[in-house]
Amino acid sequence: MLDIAVQITQVLLAVGAIGSVYRIYKGPSVLDRVISLDVMLIIVASMMIVEMVVNDHQDFIMFVVITAVIGFLGAVAIARYVVVRSPEEVAGETSEQDPYPGPPVAPAIPRAGSESEPEAPQDPVSTPRMPGLEVEEGEDESTSWFSALARSGFTPRRNEDQTKGPAPAPSAGPEADAEGAPGPSRQQEGRDD
Amino acid sequence: MIESLDADLILDAVASVLLVIGGLMSLAAGVGLVRLPDLHSRMHAATKPQVLGLLSLLLAAAITWRSWEWVAIVLLAWGLQLLTAPVSAHVVGRSGYRTKHMRRDLLTHDELASAVERISRDIPPSRG
Repeated sequence: MLDIAVQITQVLLAVGAIGSVYRIYKGPSVLDRVISLDVMLIIVASMMIVEMVVNDHQDFIMFVVITAVIGFLGAVAIARYVVVRSPEEVAGETSEQDPYPGPPVAPAIPRAGSESEPEAPQDPVSTPRMPGLEVEEGEDESTSWFSALARSGFTPRRNEDQTKGPAPAPSAGPEADAEGAPGPSRQQEGRDD
Repeated sequence: MIESLDADLILDAVASVLLVIGGLMSLAAGVGLVRLPDLHSRMHAATKPQVLGLLSLLLAAAITWRSWEWVAIVLLAWGLQLLTAPVSAHVVGRSGYRTKHMRRDLLTHDELASAVERISRDIPPSRG
């Protein structure tokens, strides 16, 4: 009975691994590939557990423990540096945000003084980018994501909370002035939670 | 531990069921990775069944080894997995939202959008 269960489990794990490999190959963004690699790592650990069940030994249990400990570090490290979106989504989003006043490039001009702070990259130009993704032009979001998301017309499609009105256009100028001057303290706590 | 034949049979049956459950959880993760349309839904499918699947596989292994010492190590491994799996899911989901790796037409309600707009509108006058 245990042999049949082991064979069934191996087949199921193999199908799961095939799905994970398909998503690693097909995945449109690097985040899809990262979570697929996490699934792949756990499936490998599961196959080692099944092998330990078959042969009745405990040699690989430390691999499982260490996988559980350090398996998330790859996802954390890569998700930290994902800044570029695919260009076709950028084209769809920028055509939708046209009715909003206040061009997105306008607040970037007084922000140029904050480029000297390496800890808080507020200008999208000064953000570090992955070298393989630099060919995708047209979208380079900084990690100061609140202001970046608010500027790019990402927010106003809400179902509720209509009382506050749309994002006001005249506040774009003083907003950019106030963000450039006083220092990166508040945006640090927004970023590093 | 337990030497009678019936107990062996029952323990093997329990271990077999747990093995198949673990395999089904991994299969669910793989199918969810293939079939789901969005980064965040794929993230849910990838990070949530794995914990239960790994728990059932580890318990099956500990049952077939017939020892309580390995149960402790198995539960240690599963506890560490339970601690670290939400971290990667949270970080991937946050990064996906910030870099807009998501399909907004699939959302019924974006609860974070109002918070983003409020903070981005309220903070700068308080600092200036």
